Amino acid sequence: MALARHDSILPLRQAFLIAYVTGILWLRRNPISLVFTAISPFSLLFVLYVVSGGVYTHLAVAGSLVMALVGYGLALGQDISFYKTEYKIQDIFVASPVSPLTYMMGLALSELLFGLPALLVLASLVIYFGAPIASIPFLAATILLTWGSMSAMGFFLSSHMLHMRNATQVISFVNVILAVLPPVFYSVTIVPEALKPLVYALPTTHASLMLQYIMEQPTPPEWSPAFGFAVQFAYLIGFIALAKTKALWRET
Amino acid sequence: MLAIDAVSVTKVYKGATKPALEAVSLKVESGKVFTLLGRNGAGKTTFVRMCATQLAPTSGTIRVLGYDVARQAREIRDLISVVPQEGRPLRALTPWDHVYNWLQIRGESRQVAKEKTESILRKLELYDARDRPAMNLSGGMKQKVLVAMAMAAEAQLLFLDEPTIGLDPVSRRQVWSAINDWKSRGQSILLTTHYMDEAEMLSDYVVIVDNGKTLAQGTIQELRKVIPQNIRVDISADGTDQESLRTYGSVVDTGTGMLRVFTYESAARDLSDFALKRNLSFNVSPVTLDDVFVYLVGRSIDKTDSNGADRNGTG
Repeated sequence: MALARHDSILPLRQAFLIAYVTGILWLRRNPISLVFTAISPFSLLFVLYVVSGGVYTHLAVAGSLVMALVGYGLALGQDISFYKTEYKIQDIFVASPVSPLTYMMGLALSELLFGLPALLVLASLVIYFGAPIASIPFLAATILLTWGSMSAMGFFLSSHMLHMRNATQVISFVNVILAVLPPVFYSVTIVPEALKPLVYALPTTHASLMLQYIMEQPTPPEWSPAFGFAVQFAYLIGFIALAKTKALWRET
Repeated sequence: MLAIDAVSVTKVYKGATKPALEAVSLKVESGKVFTLLGRNGAGKTTFVRMCATQLAPTSGTIRVLGYDVARQAREIRDLISVVPQEGRPLRALTPWDHVYNWLQIRGESRQVAKEKTESILRKLELYDARDRPAMNLSGGMKQKVLVAMAMAAEAQLLFLDEPTIGLDPVSRRQVWSAINDWKSRGQSILLTTHYMDEAEMLSDYVVIVDNGKTLAQGTIQELRKVIPQNIRVDISADGTDQESLRTYGSVVDTGTGMLRVFTYESAARDLSDFALKRNLSFNVSPVTLDDVFVYLVGRSIDKTDSNGADRNGTG
């Protein structure tokens, strides 16, 4: 019986299997869905490029990549709500040797798979628009930090949603708060001084600044890559801790 | 060791005015099929979800396979497997995908997962449809996919929450056969159902629940003794009346053109003679679980009140 061997199972293997089932197997049978998820992050990039005549291309590329990461991370919340309320699949996982963090990681990897084509194109654009090859590790770290913290946040939020519609509404709202209002697509220099502490408190501001920095674009003097990484890392740890301790796995 | 030992368990959902389950105490022996029987909204699903560590009790204690659900959920989760009520397989995945990968997620090697998947899919007659996406399966086949996932795991304790809902008679019997196989291996099952025949066919022990409370519990034989008379005679209402029949026992109008008389063996013979002399159709049988349910609850299990369903399920 498998259960006696449970201690030897690496949660990582479980997470990859969950990602395989919900990501690869799904895509193998519905390859067209990859086209839909791959195209959406380019809409604002296209608009900004056309409207600005190419002047805001760097900001548009940085913003689009951040927005895509926020979207794919938070989409995990929608997926989880869907599996929980519509399929009751989460009920099966709760009453099994799979931990909530493993479940979250598996579905987050699956989401990443759906976003991979768009992320690869956007990351390539970051390099194309000025990032030296040596900065690729910074680019990868920024992508992982943003995706990780947004996935943990999506998991936490979705675990408290009783209905699919609530999840969609809340996640859309959070998406606006994190990817539209802060200086993700525009320069932080135009933010009034009084609001700067607020925008610097958001991880997405730092993710966008980091990408601008990687593309060798000017960044404000009060900001540094170390500051950016510190804030993003703090968010990642904080949201994972929140997901681990406060996400509703067993209902009350 | 007891599979489940629940002591004075109460569950009040947030914002609810009355408990979904109130001071329920149950002991489920290992290696048995233990059935919770009740109408929609009786509290069956709430009890199952608390035992399966999916829902926290408001008060009381539950021990599953010796572990406390409140403090030792991780230990319990290694040993159990569930079929949730109203669950559905993922649309694009096949029966094979579901069972085979689920077994690997639970820790089986590929080879063992393959063997077990093939075995359970054959048992539940899903093997020929093993490569068909769930969206192209019938409702009954979809339900069987979930049953197959839960059973293939071969956990010590299996929770089946209305597992045969929506299944055709043949599929129901396939699931029953799988449950009996399971039982013969000494594994335990907590089953919820509102099908009387299912409860009678499978259960070692039955608890009748209504409005969050247990009304009676025991083996089928013990529960039949809840009604003082042990025989029921259904007799055509066309040609007789309740008053004439009351001399033989207590009479209930079934609403189907038949009057049901609960009586004793000796009186049943007299009643049969009464019917034969008047050329009335009649049927004699032992008291069933359905009769016990009606006797205890005051109405048939099929007649559900509109406030029955709780927010986490219908039972």
